[in-house]
Amino acid sequence: MVLEGYQVRLEPVKASDLPMLRQWRNDPKISQHMLSNALITEEQQLRWFESIVNDNSQQHFVIYYKGAPIGSANIKSADGVCLRDSNCIEPGLYIYEDKYRANLLAFAPTLLLNDFSFYDIGVEKLKAVVLAENLAALNYNKKLGYEVVSEGPLIEIELEPLRYEVASKPLKRLLSRVSGGK
Amino acid sequence: MASENQSKLIAAFATALNIEPSLVKDELAYNTIPEWDSTAHMSLVAEIEDAFDIMLDTDDIIDMSSVQKAKEIVVKYGVEL
Repeated sequence: MVLEGYQVRLEPVKASDLPMLRQWRNDPKISQHMLSNALITEEQQLRWFESIVNDNSQQHFVIYYKGAPIGSANIKSADGVCLRDSNCIEPGLYIYEDKYRANLLAFAPTLLLNDFSFYDIGVEKLKAVVLAENLAALNYNKKLGYEVVSEGPLIEIELEPLRYEVASKPLKRLLSRVSGGK
Repeated sequence: MASENQSKLIAAFATALNIEPSLVKDELAYNTIPEWDSTAHMSLVAEIEDAFDIMLDTDDIIDMSSVQKAKEIVVKYGVEL
């Protein structure tokens, strides 16, 4: 399954992507924001890949912008069922390329994943868990309409379709333009 | 005209980011101050488009990551700075 829009393309992770993804995921600039920041070995990653490649309850992607890989994204059924039958999905992503980390483009893959989850699958809500100190991620998700449902060292946030629709409209407008001229 | 447009650009930043015009320096970049977040960036696009009567492409909206970049971008649209 390939998702495309808002200037980016999400392609399913392939075996040939694994060295790049492992290097990204083990880089402290990424791993410091993860729930587990232990180094991932080649063997661990291979076992992980073999476990997810045919698992229809989750889908992992590489994010491309202008043909170049810039980050990684995924969606997982929070119910543990096939994504298509899920009522609640947990999306996740990171942008590795510095140029696009603190950039409006960082919203694009999430818009694609959220649109797919709400409007294609028809889930009732999205949820995520964020480290309390990761204010950038919290602010990012609040801009998309997420609400905090539980606070602590880990903050649980949820997003319902109506809030997403309202919150995402201006972002979608900007990221959907093609050519100028007024 | 060029200095008038410089002032217009600074005013667009100051209004959209709700900061003092004196803080609008070339090196000021997206997400380096709390005031320049994604919401302010959207306002900034609107302010710049209104100020110069242009419509920015999405590539330029994405690329407009600093005041210096914004200057380079509006020049592409025929604005004299």
